[in-house]
Amino acid sequence: MRPRTALPVLGEYLAWWTALALLWLVLVSTVDVLELVVGAGTAALAALAARAARRAVTGR
Amino acid sequence: MNGWLLAAAVVLAGGVGATLWGVATGPLRRRVVAQNLSSALACPILLLLSQGYDRPSYVDLALVLALLGPVGTLVFARLLADELAGDPPRAWGATWAAAGVGAGVVLALCAATAPGRATVKLLLTGALLIGGNVVASRALAGGFRGVRRG
Repeated sequence: MRPRTALPVLGEYLAWWTALALLWLVLVSTVDVLELVVGAGTAALAALAARAARRAVTGR
Repeated sequence: MNGWLLAAAVVLAGGVGATLWGVATGPLRRRVVAQNLSSALACPILLLLSQGYDRPSYVDLALVLALLGPVGTLVFARLLADELAGDPPRAWGATWAAAGVGAGVVLALCAATAPGRATVKLLLTGALLIGGNVVASRALAGGFRGVRRG
């Protein structure tokens, strides 16, 4: 992957991760360190899936 | 018995009772609409019960129902597409009435709870509930005919 394409990809991944981590933060009942760690990890996996789904829908 | 539980009982008896009658009787086009409306009304009931019994975990049930109810209706819309194509159900009055019940319940709960993460969760549930059911109603009415074979 060239640097010119890597930056938008990374940007989109980070945008998905931020949105999904915020969603997790809103939905959990208590905010503590364990929840934050699990939420960050889950959001990292879900951001991969979200980007793959977005590419599948838009075809790009 | 408090006001929240009374409201839940009224919606349960009046709304879900009527949709159960609609699901059990009449032509197919009426049954699928009633099935969609039953989940759209059960979700606000769970929200009202969570406030009435002071059990915030019931909101999770409403959230899951708001997400999965329209998905179930989309499955019906897909499987019954050929049967519904000739005489598609159009029930926008009932759909927007159910959406109004959901919006009213969510706004009342937002007013009753202290502002914070719980408010955001309630608003998210309401947005999923209303948006999901509008999309599901449009799918039943044949609004996504173009992607049927997609």
